[in-house]
Amino acid sequence: MAFLEYLSDPSTQRELISQTLDHIYLTAVPVAIAVVLGLGLGILAHRSPQLRSPILSVVSTLLTIPSLALFAIMIPIIGIGAGPAIVALTLYALLPIVRNTVSGLFSVDNAVIESAKGMGMSATKRLWKIELPNAWPVMLAGIRVATLLTVGIAAIAALVGGPGLGQEIFTGIRRIPASGSLESLLGGTLFIILLAVLFDLLYLAIGRVTIPRGIRE
Amino acid sequence: MSSTLTPPDAQEVARRTQARDEDAALGRRARRARIVHYLGMPLFLLAVLLALYLWVQGQELDSIEARTITLGTLLSQTRQHITLTLYSTVVVLLLAVPLGIFATRPGTRRFAPAIIGLGNAGQAIPSLGLLALLYYLFRTQPALPSTGTFPVVVGLVAYSFLPILRNTMVGLEQVDRFVLEAGKGMGMSQRRVLRRIELPLAVPVILAGVRTALVLNVGTAALAFLFGGGGLGQTIFSGFQLRRNVVLVTGAVLVAVLALLVDYLAGLIEEKLTPKGL
Repeated sequence: MAFLEYLSDPSTQRELISQTLDHIYLTAVPVAIAVVLGLGLGILAHRSPQLRSPILSVVSTLLTIPSLALFAIMIPIIGIGAGPAIVALTLYALLPIVRNTVSGLFSVDNAVIESAKGMGMSATKRLWKIELPNAWPVMLAGIRVATLLTVGIAAIAALVGGPGLGQEIFTGIRRIPASGSLESLLGGTLFIILLAVLFDLLYLAIGRVTIPRGIRE
Repeated sequence: MSSTLTPPDAQEVARRTQARDEDAALGRRARRARIVHYLGMPLFLLAVLLALYLWVQGQELDSIEARTITLGTLLSQTRQHITLTLYSTVVVLLLAVPLGIFATRPGTRRFAPAIIGLGNAGQAIPSLGLLALLYYLFRTQPALPSTGTFPVVVGLVAYSFLPILRNTMVGLEQVDRFVLEAGKGMGMSQRRVLRRIELPLAVPVILAGVRTALVLNVGTAALAFLFGGGGLGQTIFSGFQLRRNVVLVTGAVLVAVLALLVDYLAGLIEEKLTPKGL
């Protein structure tokens, strides 16, 4: 009941809406940058056997570094605010995207590539017309995982001055066990979960629209 | 007579010498790769720690900074951090691995997709929110202990439980059905199939779970200071609140080094314990 009162309070609503918008920004921007970088790194790792293991081990090492530490290390370099969080979250989002780009490209049937060669397609054309479209379902799954990861980790940015729904949770933490703290904890957490669900539905829709009918399961 | 034999002999010797040199070069390269594989990460982490030490030593520390980053404080926070990581990892493995085995038996297998789906959905729960909600529960229920490592360990276990359960189940499902059928065909009982075939084949999966749990927990334990559990996250946070970058960076580098070291050691254990045939 107290939670419903909390949600119906206009000032809470304003707060939660603006934090949700910040949280979307804090997720969408890093994922978008990571998609561009990850696509490039993934294609590179697929093409060059020498670079494959260095690229994959560096991006997986990045994900091993605890988020609070990576957010904090960015502060002396970039300053306080959304900046350090965006850079750190971009680095985290790379691993699922790079890994799935590589395995997606490797999963493309060799016979398909050979017939594209036989049709006289150049290497660049093969990549864009044949390999990437065939690898796309696996790549999209990687982008989806990266997004869910980012939505959750972005909450921690609030501890070191970042924006987003983590602020509401952090407000609640500082007031435990006073009355009203539970509402803030629940509000922040549930809105983050809700955001994750909405992103998931968005990816379902993107998959429907962008996966060629011929390779749909 | 000997003169006619000399030229091919010389060639043969030259060829053999070259082959031996190539073998040696190959051996050297393999040895170098092995050295990089085993010593690369520890040497890198040692270099990072040394650089951090020299950098902090070179700074003119004010009284607040000098009070926050003492060796005693950092060591006790490191000890707390490691304790939290180990406790929560042991507990989560004891809970999630047996449950994962149980949930993939023929009788219960129909629930497996639902549990794996739940595991995927669980990724959406933010660690900060989950830890905070559990801590709130501990603080407001008089019957539960509200201080010390216990509430934090419960939070860490709750956060890493679903990923470990999910990984164990996916790993066990991957065990080749034909191998199981072969076992059954040899007249093995179901329990024997589990013990003699499935579990040995699932060892890599379980070891990967140990590594995942350790890495997840060492990262989440950086939040323990918020809930009275201490750990190195405290130094990061103090540095941020006091606007002292020396403190902030010291805490952040130590947390990162600890996590990378834990991952490296877990990787070594994984490598050593995985059966050779796999």
